[in-house]
Amino acid sequence: MKILVGYKRVVDYNVRIQVKPDGTGVVTDGVKLSANPFDDIALEEALRLREKGVATEVVVVAIGPADLTAHLRNGLAMGANRAIHVVTDAAVQPLTAARVFQRLVEKEQPGLVITGKQAIDDDANQTGQMLATLWDRPQATFASKVDISVESGADGKATVTREVDAGLEVIEVELPAVITTDLRLNEPRFIKLPDIMKAKAKPIDTIEFASLGIEANDHLKTTHYAAPPKRSRGVMVKDATELVAALKQKGLL
Amino acid sequence: MTDPRLASLAEQLPGLRLFTAPAELEHYGRDWTRRWTPAPLAVALPTSVEEVQGIVRWANEHGVALVPSGGRTGLSGGAVAANGELVLSLERMNRVLGFDPADRTLTVEAGMPLQAVQEAAKAQGLIYPVDFAARGSCSIGGNIATNAGGIRVIRYGNTREWIAGLKVVAGNGELLELNRALVKNSSGYDFRQLLIGSEGTLGVVVEATLRLTDPPPPSQVMLLALPHMDALMEVFALFRSRLSLQAFEFFTDVALRHVLAHGAQRALDGEHPYYVVTEFDAADERAQEAALAAFEHAVEQGWIEDGAIAQSEAQAAALWRLREGITESLAAHKPYKNDVSVRIGAVPAFLHEMQALLGREYPHFEVVWFGHIGDGNLHINVLKPADLADADFIAQCEHVTKLLAATLKAHGGSISAEHGIGLVKKPYLGSTRSEAEVALMRGVRQVFDPKGLLNPGKLFD
Repeated sequence: MKILVGYKRVVDYNVRIQVKPDGTGVVTDGVKLSANPFDDIALEEALRLREKGVATEVVVVAIGPADLTAHLRNGLAMGANRAIHVVTDAAVQPLTAARVFQRLVEKEQPGLVITGKQAIDDDANQTGQMLATLWDRPQATFASKVDISVESGADGKATVTREVDAGLEVIEVELPAVITTDLRLNEPRFIKLPDIMKAKAKPIDTIEFASLGIEANDHLKTTHYAAPPKRSRGVMVKDATELVAALKQKGLL
Repeated sequence: MTDPRLASLAEQLPGLRLFTAPAELEHYGRDWTRRWTPAPLAVALPTSVEEVQGIVRWANEHGVALVPSGGRTGLSGGAVAANGELVLSLERMNRVLGFDPADRTLTVEAGMPLQAVQEAAKAQGLIYPVDFAARGSCSIGGNIATNAGGIRVIRYGNTREWIAGLKVVAGNGELLELNRALVKNSSGYDFRQLLIGSEGTLGVVVEATLRLTDPPPPSQVMLLALPHMDALMEVFALFRSRLSLQAFEFFTDVALRHVLAHGAQRALDGEHPYYVVTEFDAADERAQEAALAAFEHAVEQGWIEDGAIAQSEAQAAALWRLREGITESLAAHKPYKNDVSVRIGAVPAFLHEMQALLGREYPHFEVVWFGHIGDGNLHINVLKPADLADADFIAQCEHVTKLLAATLKAHGGSISAEHGIGLVKKPYLGSTRSEAEVALMRGVRQVFDPKGLLNPGKLFD
């Protein structure tokens, strides 16, 4: 079985995001960029499935500008067999990303697409779901446990534990399917330096976005970016009575 | 408050918070060493320079010894109060007093935790670069009193380099303003530098003006696995010549075992005797390629067996935890600690002698090595076997430290690289400082603290 992994590059999780003074976006110059943490988890899960013998090939996919190569090399060093780079300088909205994946799925015929439940830049949480719909295949979102044995994989089934509001939900999906990962699914491995050397020899297929015949139909419009309001200073109260009075005054009790 | 001396203190300084309950005396009477039973008279927590002066004057009046106290994360017993002293805790003096953008200095009260200082600097778009694992608890005053070093010394030097000015209450209660943040000041003795590393024996640091600097460029963190000790300094020389290092730290497989057992995430498979965590500037792809080339070269030379590289800040923190988590992971084993240094050029020869010495003298104890090898600073932790009595264990370790001190003397090294002398290293001061030097130290102390009330019994008797 082949697994396609969505592997987006975003501003590093630990970087304090700063809004550009003119409100047109966030500062990305000179800021550390890393793999979307949820996509790292997706890649780790795909690699584990390969190590278990369920999958035979893991392909990382990223959509973005030419300088994504180094990012994809990291995915290869982590263990992916090969990479696909869909080249575009434009910002890619979830529906467009899902359409790109749809094209790649038609071409690659994977048994599974695993991707992060959301990317931490736009937090859209849509691409996986949209892809499942376009592809007309089942989806198992917010996965915290994925069970596919060699046997069940051959039977075309995956058992997925999902994180839902009420707790956990276990579902069975027929493969091929889309799985999106939640934080607790696994802890991604470190990249070994010798593997970085080896990754240089692994193939990266470059596909021009324009050649896919997709129209980037951007129906989401961002009006402006703004920092969240600063938290105002707290008020000290002397005792419980004063606290209750203060809460009542604010209409919170 | 039955003690008349305390009653008089409370009367002189009515706003002063005083603790006398047994639990508080125990809490404030000791540091991270566990060798002495805390027995202070009381704990005073002043909130102003005036209160500190008042306490010191009161101590003079009543002949009460004082133990200046910060975060009490010290490992040499410098903040231990075991003889009826008054603990003078700077804990409540923890505010930022000012930031000067032209001078690029931050003025803080001495009780401010290091991490809070670092965050205050960051809020101004700058950094205070001294850093080590105890950052969340240790105070800047304690850092100054021990000239604390840590994990960025290789790039930024010790605390000493970053102190622009100090306000200090001397042994007679007088307030001294030392250097007043001047960049250039050629006007005689620099008492500011004298106070740095004086371990509370010359004065109580109440305020510090710290130099800040630009944040470093984006960096990368690597974990390297080395096949033998000789490879350590080879890899260091190679990496230092090709990269702009921010840190270069080493530890052994024994240390790694403890950190992993304490919950850290394994980064490399297989068994390797030595490990290095290194962080270096990697602003662009060229720097990253240079790092990989250095790694490749070291592998070809047989100096490195394996390595991992952090892909995110979270992974960088996870790799750092393998090094920074060591001290905490050993704490339950009541380790006996050596913190020694030699000049960098002397490290290889010194390491060999040490390895032979410790192997010979500690055949039955578990010995954990780690440290700031790029600064010539080695931490040796000897773990106490559970069935051995504390006193017997310490006696055996002290015997070895004597031998170690002789080796250090032969190599021109120091018995305390960054922890301070305190109580723990006092018997061995002579291995690092000549008799003439120690005599001068006593003389200096006499001038600053004529009655010998400031942290008596620490550093020397």
